[in-house]
Amino acid sequence: MAPWMSSGLIYASGLALTAGSVTLLYIVTRTFNFAVASLATIGFYVTYTGVALFGGLPYQYYPAVVIVGAILGAICYYGLNKHLLRRQAAEITLMMSTLGYDLVLLSFIQMYADFLTHSYRLFPRRVTMNIYDFELFGEKAAVIILPIIAVVFLTGLHIFLKKTKFGVAMRATIENPVLAGASGINSDRIYLVSWIISGGMAALGGSFMAMAMTGTPVMGMYAIPLMFAGAILGGLGSLYGGILGGFVIGMTEYAGVFALSQRFGPWVLGYRMGIPLLLMVITLLVFPRGLAGIPLFKLLGSLVGKKRGASA
Amino acid sequence: MLKVKNLNSGYGKLQVLYDLNIQVPDKGLTVVVGPNGAGKTTLLCSIMGIARVFSGEVLFEGSSIVGELTHNLAKKGISYVPQMGNVFAELTVMDNLHMAGYMLSKEEAKDKAAQMTEIFPVLKKFIHRKAGTLSGGERRMLAIAMGLMKNPKLMLLDELSTDLAPIIAERVMMEVSRMRDELGITILMVEQMAKRALEIGDTAYLLVSGEVRYTGKADDLLHEPELCSMYLGIKPVTGKEENFGLSVPEEGSEDS
Amino acid sequence: MITVNSLGNKLKNSIYFREILISAIIIALLLFLFIRSGLPIILTIFIEFAVFAIITMSLNLEVGYTGISQFGRVAAVIVGAFAVGSIPGRLMAMLMGLPYGVEYASDTVNFTVVPQINELLVNSWLLSLGFLLMCVILAGVFGAAIGWLISRPAIRLKEAYLGISLLAFGDFFMWVGHNWKGLVGGSVPVYVPDPFRIFAVDRFTVIVLFIFVVAFLVYLYLNKLTKSPFGRNLRMVRDNDVSAAAAGINVVRVRTQSLVIGSALAAIAGGLYVIYTGTVAAIGFTRLTFTFWPWAFMMLGGIGSNIGMLLGVFLLTILRTMIVIFRSQWFGFLLNVGIDPLWLEFTLMGAVIIIVILFLPHGLVPERVEPMLSANRVRKIMARRQ
Repeated sequence: MAPWMSSGLIYASGLALTAGSVTLLYIVTRTFNFAVASLATIGFYVTYTGVALFGGLPYQYYPAVVIVGAILGAICYYGLNKHLLRRQAAEITLMMSTLGYDLVLLSFIQMYADFLTHSYRLFPRRVTMNIYDFELFGEKAAVIILPIIAVVFLTGLHIFLKKTKFGVAMRATIENPVLAGASGINSDRIYLVSWIISGGMAALGGSFMAMAMTGTPVMGMYAIPLMFAGAILGGLGSLYGGILGGFVIGMTEYAGVFALSQRFGPWVLGYRMGIPLLLMVITLLVFPRGLAGIPLFKLLGSLVGKKRGASA
Repeated sequence: MLKVKNLNSGYGKLQVLYDLNIQVPDKGLTVVVGPNGAGKTTLLCSIMGIARVFSGEVLFEGSSIVGELTHNLAKKGISYVPQMGNVFAELTVMDNLHMAGYMLSKEEAKDKAAQMTEIFPVLKKFIHRKAGTLSGGERRMLAIAMGLMKNPKLMLLDELSTDLAPIIAERVMMEVSRMRDELGITILMVEQMAKRALEIGDTAYLLVSGEVRYTGKADDLLHEPELCSMYLGIKPVTGKEENFGLSVPEEGSEDS
Repeated sequence: MITVNSLGNKLKNSIYFREILISAIIIALLLFLFIRSGLPIILTIFIEFAVFAIITMSLNLEVGYTGISQFGRVAAVIVGAFAVGSIPGRLMAMLMGLPYGVEYASDTVNFTVVPQINELLVNSWLLSLGFLLMCVILAGVFGAAIGWLISRPAIRLKEAYLGISLLAFGDFFMWVGHNWKGLVGGSVPVYVPDPFRIFAVDRFTVIVLFIFVVAFLVYLYLNKLTKSPFGRNLRMVRDNDVSAAAAGINVVRVRTQSLVIGSALAAIAGGLYVIYTGTVAAIGFTRLTFTFWPWAFMMLGGIGSNIGMLLGVFLLTILRTMIVIFRSQWFGFLLNVGIDPLWLEFTLMGAVIIIVILFLPHGLVPERVEPMLSANRVRKIMARRQ
């Protein structure tokens, strides 16, 4: 596989997870979550701490990554989001509250990086994670393992939403919170679970992305427009749309940069962020509601449930 | 069963209801009628903890339920059938019933769902179809079935007959009175199809601009010429003098 | 004693109680800093305050008065900074017969050209003033242009879609500046000719005064604007765009105008900021500093209130500076484990946003609904009619 393709695949799997995390939270709680940035970075630092201090492969720390992300998501829900949802705060207020949480987390990440440097003589501010990887069938193992983990994770999520009573209750709450409440479904618990899932997803996505890009304390902050772009491209209406959107954004970045730098020379590399963002803006101009505005994806979207209030 | 005392409530800063007093007797069908924007739906939302209660009391079986969360009220045995969005359009009919019986155990829910499909045979045909594909009348039936799923002590019905064809609305009304007679459920019903509702109801309240204008027996309200024509658009039943009686409803006189 | 009490009561009952209280806190903090650390710190606070006050007020115009979810404030600031960093210097170089093309921005050339321009500026009052005016005007014009340009595609989108598109634009401009060497030097900062050099030792003080005056003028202008019928249109669009359209307001035009004015003001702030720092480093114009910080200031001050913006910016700027000054005295325990206390600035900002949202949802100074005309004016007009 060409290097751009293998890195792109890893990176896009990570972006798919983070964009899916943004989308899931948005369709359940109307919250556009800025904190995915720091959650992703934290996911990376958990794996890094693991391999740097205890050795082994990055993959064996992924359960820990998901747990840490889930706990941080739950904290945000209990400390912040719950009260605002009760108050029926505006979308923009919900968004800003997660930005506040993100900044606090970011400061903790920076302090943690300082702490690692000071106490363990590590260099956590510029990390290439793929040196901890091994070879599998002549490729970096991440190229094969990460997409598989992503697919397994998402399939599990799909089964959870489709088959379990709680999953169905979650879809019911997404569609009609008032009726769900009147049916005895505790919406608090639904919101909490969605925060937990999306926190875990974001952290896992971040640790994926670190296998393809340089891990830094501001890596999530740098990539957050792309995560959002993925979610927006997916139309913010369905979980699968968001995941697909994230994947498309990630692949476009690598493929686009590769193709354009072949054609115009290496200066294009500096503008790599611009390519997926341009894609997003153009898509939004043609379909103001993202990919979900395309009939095919509408069909896909109805698998999981529409944005609240969209149905009669 | 349910007592509403001096209730002031609304949404955000907007007050809709003023000093409302309502009593819902056991095993009775209480009807609340009134013109558009009188606050009928707000009354139900205030009881269910969806609207904001500024002051006053709502007593359910003697204990106050103001400030309770909606899902806890459902657990206490109040079931609420909203006017709009009363089914989960994206879920199948079966899932809808199971969701409505969310608090029940798995076996109980299964039994209850089977029972519902017997009461409403129309649901049996479409049990694996998405609720969004049902017709208006079928949806309403499903909504009622969902309301019944959790063995409620009290049912709050919000404008069941809205935008249904008259003949189907009539069937829905029949269903409601059957529920009272055969299942012995206490019902608080809000209706715009005032005449029909008052005919089947026991107690009636006339709500105008957030205040109660009439309290008494449902039949008697039909004999109040001024109230009927002013607020309900019903040609009053003059009763004794002209002896038209309840049995001769006038066509097209209903407010919609 | 009684008089003090009654004065206290009078104050408490005054509608400006909050403003007076917050101003008192600000003055107390400033005095404390002045005694502990001297004048230069106060001047730094003032200059940061003035620059961010302009940016925050422009943000408030778009977010607070028009309801646009502007997450790309940094775009306009960057454009202002780039305009000042690249154009006036080139013009001067062209007039002086020095290299002014793409090579102007390369570090070796820039290093020699800018001092020559400064040489010329130092000797002429008129030229310095003209140069400064040109900078401000250029920043404003380019800012307005970019505001218009951004508004074209963005205005059709709603809420989150709009916010994220603007955020993307903001980042995009930063990367262009960082990578396009011919514009402002890319990763190597270019120097900006200094129109204030003529004041020699007092340069710093004069710059502070100048930016302060500009900020004050912007405040007056926005106050006037938001109280005018145009301001009323803005608020109508914000509260309900459908009914505003039904009332005959061209919603798209109002939104565009708001974006253009806001962007022009923010660009002027960006231009003044680079004149103050003397260099333009594209990478320094991050989303964090020039979009998220102003958002935090705005939320603390109270969305939709101009005086609130000033107080919010002032208070937070002082607190930020205090973290920087007292980092080793107050946060020694962090330094002991190798942690730089400067990161506490992020914690502070995040915590401010969270606390404001949870406990002070309308900010320090909530938006006041004021009549367009004072009672006196109305009476006068009525009298004139009769």
